Amino acid sequence: MNERKQFYENPRSEENRKKKSNAFATVCLLIASLAVVILVTLIGSIVASGGNWLSWELLTGVHREDNPEGSGIGQAIAGSLVLCFICGAVALPVGIGTALFLEEFKPTNRIVGWLHSLVQLNINNLAGVPSIVYGILGLTAFVYMFGLIEPIQANNPPSIEIGATYFYQTKTLGGKWVTFPAEDPEQTILKINEPVEVTMPSGEIVMLNVLPKSEPSPRDDAVRDVTVFEGANASTFRKNSPIHFHLPFSKSVLSAGLTLALVILPIVIIASQEALRAVPDSLREASLGLGATRWQTVRGTVLPAAIPGIMTGAILSMSRAVGEAAPIIAVMGSVAGTTTGLTSLMDKSPVLPVMIFRWAGEENPGFEHLSAAAIIVLLVFLLIMNSIAILIRYRHEKKQS
Amino acid sequence: MSTAEPGKMLPVDPRPTYQLRSTANARIWQRFMLFLLTLCALVSIATTAGIIIMLVYESAGFFLNEQIEVGRFFTDTKWTVGQTQGELSYGIWPLVSGTFRITGIAMLISLPIGLITAVYLSEYASQRTRSILKPTLEILAGIPTVVLGFFAVKFITPWLLAPLGDFKTFNAGAAGIAVGILCLPLVTSLAEDALRAVPVSLREGSYGLGATKLETTIKVVIPAALSGIISAFLLALARAVGETMVVALAAGSSPTLTLDPRQPSQTMTGFIVETFKSEAVTPGTVNYYSIYAVAAVLFLLTFTITLIGQIIRLRYREVYE
Repeated sequence: MNERKQFYENPRSEENRKKKSNAFATVCLLIASLAVVILVTLIGSIVASGGNWLSWELLTGVHREDNPEGSGIGQAIAGSLVLCFICGAVALPVGIGTALFLEEFKPTNRIVGWLHSLVQLNINNLAGVPSIVYGILGLTAFVYMFGLIEPIQANNPPSIEIGATYFYQTKTLGGKWVTFPAEDPEQTILKINEPVEVTMPSGEIVMLNVLPKSEPSPRDDAVRDVTVFEGANASTFRKNSPIHFHLPFSKSVLSAGLTLALVILPIVIIASQEALRAVPDSLREASLGLGATRWQTVRGTVLPAAIPGIMTGAILSMSRAVGEAAPIIAVMGSVAGTTTGLTSLMDKSPVLPVMIFRWAGEENPGFEHLSAAAIIVLLVFLLIMNSIAILIRYRHEKKQS
Repeated sequence: MSTAEPGKMLPVDPRPTYQLRSTANARIWQRFMLFLLTLCALVSIATTAGIIIMLVYESAGFFLNEQIEVGRFFTDTKWTVGQTQGELSYGIWPLVSGTFRITGIAMLISLPIGLITAVYLSEYASQRTRSILKPTLEILAGIPTVVLGFFAVKFITPWLLAPLGDFKTFNAGAAGIAVGILCLPLVTSLAEDALRAVPVSLREGSYGLGATKLETTIKVVIPAALSGIISAFLLALARAVGETMVVALAAGSSPTLTLDPRQPSQTMTGFIVETFKSEAVTPGTVNYYSIYAVAAVLFLLTFTITLIGQIIRLRYREVYE
């Protein structure tokens, strides 16, 4: 009431109100530009800290304790790429499939309708679950498999395993390591009592001489190289082929990749749904009108029209996965490096964000700069992915118009 | 669908009559594909079920452990799980308070700035400022959280906060600010969507009655978009509560029960990461089970917040024709 009275009785108030309005617009602009200030400061401080540390050694090297100058992120880059690949290979088909289920096969009866709304509600909620909780799920479901499968003990072969060959290795009198296939890998230590065929380090296959303990040690080096005393210990070791696989997955890049796939699944689904909704119904109707089944319509008409949108969303969610650290620490631990590198999906591997996390927490100040340099590499990686997404979107828009 | 009267449109039936037009093969194929797609959809249900079963089952391992009294989980004021010396205390409050201290600071930063930025973008911005601000926010949204954690501990603490007072190397303030930066693009884009959904006619009506732009924004547009704005706030809140890497890097690893932003503060997520990092997680130990107990509290909290946000968005949405 008061305001209205003021409005009619005091003509100056209108001027005041206009002034207020304009002042508010300025304040809004100032506050909105804070986002730009933040981004510039963020990038600036990181480049200032890590820019000088970018080098070829950084890109190719491995982590070395207490030696930031000699450390690098070669393994971490490989690890991130492999993780990204596993994650995409799982999350994209499942995510797009779910989106198709929700958008293109609308329910025709009550049970399916109920399932649809359950899935939809569930996806929106999953998108709000913290990624560390997915990490714990990954640890329980993939690493330990809910304890349903016997956990892997150190030195013992897992009960379900393919792609690994077990060998015994022993040192001959001449100091050469020779190997021979293990028939029963459960037995981790074997006493050698009779001659066996062994592989020399050079690849040659020879017969191993077994001397009784009472005999004197031979003098000839060539003989010493292929001779052991009776009762010499041989211990197992494992050679992994690239398809090495076992259950449970234990702490491996496969577990981590599957976990990341769960993390980005809701994002992929929501983005794909939006892309599918953007396809005009007239296209579907035309296809259905020509007698295509609903699947044929999806396959031949809807998917081709929606694929640029889906790919954009997919790439953006993959870039989210590349930057995730928390679930990976939960599943693989904070790995800094491995001696062999990545030989199969059952190996652990460092990844970029975990490397950044580790180095940022090191006491040695050199690692702080190294961490910043690794951040620059990660950001460039993300920039490339995002540019691809923007490019796809741009070309698609051009084609449509 | 057999005959149509001339000049009259046929009603559009989205379901084609397969029997007449499709080959048997195509129908079988369609059934098979639908089956596969349903399986895909079930993956997300299985994920939720997996999370809930896992949290219930494994935190039961914590609460039923002979070293643990359930009551003390909610009454103790100290959290010493994972520390090697001293008495075992497992009151969740220091972790919960740590989470809310940091979340509170983050919300103090991201809500006002985010809302005002959203108002600016939807009501005031010219095409040019928009073309700068929008990509900036998108890039900011894409920055990995571990990078923001690095920024908090190496820039915000020493350069921004240290001159202001006696801030510890790891403190709640820096972590809160970084989490606030993280939530800012989320609040902005969701709130902007809500503001843009308000039809122009409402604004024109308000202008027509002589209101200024400020009055229109505050008295007409924001109230009309309120449900969307509140749900944006709640989603940002859930995000802040679940944020992990920033707090793991910047907030320190001592669980404290205080309101002082200068002190270190371990959050629920921070504790979980710290435990994983130290690799002290052998299945079957109290340490191992405590992760699940803390994660269960965390999950309940974020799940409730997200659910309320969704209900508000769907139930109280003003629908304009």
